Amino acid sequence: MKPPRFDYVDPKTVGEAVGLLKQHESEAKLLAGGQSLMPLLNMRLARPGVLIDLGKVTALDYIREANAPSTGLRTGPSTGLRTGMLAIGAMTTKRTVEDSALIKSRQPLLHAATLLVGHAQIRNRGTVGGSMAQADPAAEYPAIAVALDATLQVAGPNGERTIKASDFFVSYLTTALDSTEMVTEVHFPLLGNSTGWSIAEVTRRHGDFAMTGVALTVTLESGGHCSGTRIVLFGVGATPVRATAAEQVVNGQKPTDKLFEQAAGKVNADITEPLSDVHASAEYRRHLAQVLTRRALAEAVARAGGKGAN
Amino acid sequence: MAATRHIHLTVNGTLYGADVEPRLTLADLLRGLGLNGTHLGCEHGVCGACTVLLNGLSIRSCLMLAVQADGAQLMTVEGLSPDGTLHPIQEAFVEQRGLQCGFCTPGFLMSIYELLRQSPNPTDGEIKDALGGNLCRCTGYQSILSSVRAAAVKLQAAGGTR
Amino acid sequence: MAVENRTSIAELPISSARYIGKSVNRVEDPSLVTGRTEFIDNVSLPGMVHCAMLRSPYAHAHIKSIDTSAAEKLPGVLGVLTGDEVAAVTIPIPTFPEQWGTHCMAVGKVRYVGQIVAAVAATSRYVAEDAAELINVEYEPLPAVMDPLSAMEPGSPLIYEEKGTNIIFKRLFQWGEADAAFREADHVFTEKFRWHRLGANPMETFGVISQWDPVERTLTCRGSYQAPSQYAMSIGMVLQIPSNRVRLISHPHGGSFGGKGGGPGSMVTSLLSRKIGGRPVKWIEDRMEYLSGGGGHAWDRHYEGSLAVKKDGTVTGFKVKLIDDIGCSAENFAAVGAAKPLAAFTGCYTIPAAAYDLTIVATNKVPSSAYRGMGPPPHNWVLEQLMDIAARGIGTDPAEIRRKNFIPPDKFPYTIPSGNEYDSGNYEAALNKVLQMSEYQKLRQEQAAARKQGRCLGIGVVSTIEPGVFDWNAYAMMGLPMTGVPEGVTVGIDMFGKITARVGFSLEGQGQYTIATQLLADYFGVQLEDVRVVYQDTLSAPPHFGPGGSRLGVALTGAVLGAADRLREKLLKVAAGLMQTDPANMELMDGMVRIKGVPGAEMHFAQVAATMLARSDLLPPGMDPYPEATYVWTAPGRTQADEQGRAKSYLTAANACHVVLVEVDCETGKVEILKYFIADDCGTRLNPATVEGMIQGGVAQGVGAALLEEYVYDNDGQLLTSTFMDYLIPTINEVPATEKAALVTPSPFTPLGAKGTGEGAIHTTPAAIMCAINDALAPLGLRATEVPASPNRLWKVMQEKKS
Repeated sequence: MKPPRFDYVDPKTVGEAVGLLKQHESEAKLLAGGQSLMPLLNMRLARPGVLIDLGKVTALDYIREANAPSTGLRTGPSTGLRTGMLAIGAMTTKRTVEDSALIKSRQPLLHAATLLVGHAQIRNRGTVGGSMAQADPAAEYPAIAVALDATLQVAGPNGERTIKASDFFVSYLTTALDSTEMVTEVHFPLLGNSTGWSIAEVTRRHGDFAMTGVALTVTLESGGHCSGTRIVLFGVGATPVRATAAEQVVNGQKPTDKLFEQAAGKVNADITEPLSDVHASAEYRRHLAQVLTRRALAEAVARAGGKGAN
Repeated sequence: MAATRHIHLTVNGTLYGADVEPRLTLADLLRGLGLNGTHLGCEHGVCGACTVLLNGLSIRSCLMLAVQADGAQLMTVEGLSPDGTLHPIQEAFVEQRGLQCGFCTPGFLMSIYELLRQSPNPTDGEIKDALGGNLCRCTGYQSILSSVRAAAVKLQAAGGTR
Repeated sequence: MAVENRTSIAELPISSARYIGKSVNRVEDPSLVTGRTEFIDNVSLPGMVHCAMLRSPYAHAHIKSIDTSAAEKLPGVLGVLTGDEVAAVTIPIPTFPEQWGTHCMAVGKVRYVGQIVAAVAATSRYVAEDAAELINVEYEPLPAVMDPLSAMEPGSPLIYEEKGTNIIFKRLFQWGEADAAFREADHVFTEKFRWHRLGANPMETFGVISQWDPVERTLTCRGSYQAPSQYAMSIGMVLQIPSNRVRLISHPHGGSFGGKGGGPGSMVTSLLSRKIGGRPVKWIEDRMEYLSGGGGHAWDRHYEGSLAVKKDGTVTGFKVKLIDDIGCSAENFAAVGAAKPLAAFTGCYTIPAAAYDLTIVATNKVPSSAYRGMGPPPHNWVLEQLMDIAARGIGTDPAEIRRKNFIPPDKFPYTIPSGNEYDSGNYEAALNKVLQMSEYQKLRQEQAAARKQGRCLGIGVVSTIEPGVFDWNAYAMMGLPMTGVPEGVTVGIDMFGKITARVGFSLEGQGQYTIATQLLADYFGVQLEDVRVVYQDTLSAPPHFGPGGSRLGVALTGAVLGAADRLREKLLKVAAGLMQTDPANMELMDGMVRIKGVPGAEMHFAQVAATMLARSDLLPPGMDPYPEATYVWTAPGRTQADEQGRAKSYLTAANACHVVLVEVDCETGKVEILKYFIADDCGTRLNPATVEGMIQGGVAQGVGAALLEEYVYDNDGQLLTSTFMDYLIPTINEVPATEKAALVTPSPFTPLGAKGTGEGAIHTTPAAIMCAINDALAPLGLRATEVPASPNRLWKVMQEKKS
């Protein structure tokens, strides 16, 4: 299984990369970590005329907190980073994210999601931007981007723009990027003290893509009721699915087991086109979505400092 | 555009130069240089038989192009025993029967080398996490687990990873 | 005295064995752990080129035309081969049963997605794949036959029109009065089972370098061959090259588990080599090719099983109906996998009557191959589940229903109704051992407590036979009516006391070279490093088969000791002459050749060898003077199969008893293995650590079979599981560590009392896990009958109950 022929370019800056994308448009494919693209190349399922290797665009390898001094990091695109947010350059590897003490303490959902991604060798190469651009329906990163209301910074020949995660994942393996654009940065909020989180998935084997997963955050207000619940399912649709009907059940209520069950019962309202494959039927995924949502809500609430059950 | 690129890379401390087609995988480059200990089991990034260290990190060499490794420092299984003396990890594998056909073994050794350098006294959970991406069809893994534990002991006694 | 019949290590000519019987480090390992072992893909020959295959995208289609012109023009391409050329110079690949196959490349018709349609030789694999894509094939698709049940129906499209049917084999075997037993039984328990297609998947796929010499008109194939002499024979036959002009050189290979080396790769590359003037042609099968067209498919089975049981729990009859889908050809020994269950049809039990209604069917899938266990693993899985169903049905514990029906230890050798003879065994001792190890009563308490908390824990207790040391007669009904599988070894000594053993098989992972080294080092009283085992190709080696059917440990031991005994005879004769006494007064002990009972009247064997090599004047007249001997071992006492397939086929019967505790997550259907205990009796253990490795490796494959591995085809015949993303091999996280205990009931029939053990726990683990799952589900009134028992499948079982 050897790749087909392609022309190869390795730009050193975002500007150069965008220039190449403009030149070659849909003939070109971006190579980031390669963990998704290289298998496709080896199997000859991907046949780009030009491969643009972003590996030398080192300016996109960073984790930065808003209002933190740039500690010898190369400056990335200026993006109006808000307080309480962190910016991760698109070519930052998942390994770097995994090892980041800042992320482990201040954005534990991202940390936990990273640990679920494949295996060490995949994380050592796979990038944050690459994962978003790949938009695999069963992947963790797109789901938590939506759960955390992340935004993506995108560069193209006409300049830069910001796309909300909830608008970024359009359909199966398809994002809002056009063929001349690339992701440069992802902004994640740092989680507040009263916000709980959970990510749960069911896989065939440890490290496999999820058959169904859920990433969620919920905030406990001082009065003891839930607010700002964001429940995102992955593996059940072509893109991450916001279970808004379930969220509405939770918001404004005090957390109880019964509440979690009621909310879980509503997730299927938002699963409109469930996936199905040799590992899991659509029916089974719908069922798992309910089970996982119920379990994840309890876990998230417990993390938020509230009772998991009563 | 030129059909080949000239690249340099250091493997097990030796500098190599090569003219390569962009589509040549890193695994095929290494094997083409005579470093045949790195094996191909699937060429789609699942089995881990092709695992090598790139700038100190374990990666699947079937999922990298040789041109991406231009300027990199690599370590393959041959680097564990440059003069034929077994590295403590290799000794542990022999003593604990961590192998049967041996085809997956070099990939495991490189993943374990990285693990023990980062985590000299890993728990069973950490070992399993680190090795979940290396498939073995022969041993059933139990003796691989005991090989890693034995290797950790040997390395600590010897004062750390060589 | 020539070749001795020893049944224990104590009978070797050494006061105390230092190596054999001990967990000696393997001599193979230093080279393997340093990555130096020469797997076939490490080899480059002068002038070598690379082959890529073009494979059919259709499951069933006529080939209307093949246009190779664009491919041939691509720079770097030396030649392209198509089916018409192949048909002109080859005969169809031999099949078992015969005449159910085709050529090594599709001729006129393709019969499975992945079948080879053309082959390219080029300067690199990259270029060869480029060229293969330029070959233009016009197909006329035909309806794909994907389901064996409909393939059996009259009116089904035919895989081979000239056969008039898709049924390859149909036979009802009846042993004892099974119908009467069922009529008279107090209970009859019946169930249908489905075991889905899975297979070997060693970490190294098949590889070959073929070279035709146009002047000598000889063929040399280097490759990863499990059974070199067998493949040499079939390659020569198919390519119509005289047998002594074909030489196979087997390289150490990265596992095999049954199927490595067969298949069309050697033949296609040989033809390419001949076409391009004799340059070596290398083909390394890639993983997608292996999964969708190689030796990795086995056991695609529809079962119906029944037990006739008396109210006291005695099982009086066992019936099995099997529809076995072996894909589109019988070329790869899959049909013999349906016959092998006869060797242990009724398991560990004294069931006196049995019947086997066997239908083997062709479909448009990959031709199935041999896989570790060669048929009994699914069969045991059926029998053990029925034993549990019976136990539940009469209200007894699964351990106790087994105990009640075990063949007692004083009844061996025991002939089972289907004709094979079990050599020895003590099944109750193994059961007691594993129940004790697992603290079985505590497990039941743990299970009961968990049930109160709403958790579904299950316990499986299973006991199986692992037949060992196969003979051809097990396959007599499939067109292999021979008896006597050979294994030959030549042992030689030099004047420095160094010993060399020449064998015909290469490394595969079972540590056989170490066994031979241990044996010879103890036999001659030398150190391990004084012994070398050397591989020889098919034209040089003594007659051999190599690994397979759990035979090689025993067969190799027999061959090594036989050769050593013949060599000893020569040494004694020479030494007797030198010491002026009769050879009958001489013995070998601890490396010294000496007169019995006369202290000091001795010579080191190396001195005797030196005399033989340098002083022909001192040797007794008329003797063969060289300190070397060959012995070819084969299992004693084999019989020809009768009209019901009954024969003494597998020489040994190892026994394993497993207890496993699982938890089924009743919401998700996921199964977690919590505890796993094994009591294993394979007779004398020549290298205990090696045996444990065979067991644990079998456990891993058993876990894969029970929970993960499945080849899935869609209705058009497309393989949906053509990569390792979808065909799921267990990782370190899915395979439990197991606690193992050894029992030793030696075989009375084998050298040193060892039994075949290489196929190991795959015979038992699928049954153990399935029984545990069903033990967890039983209180819910549920039963799973399909493997792999994936979470989706188990969830569906739970849903069906609700509806």
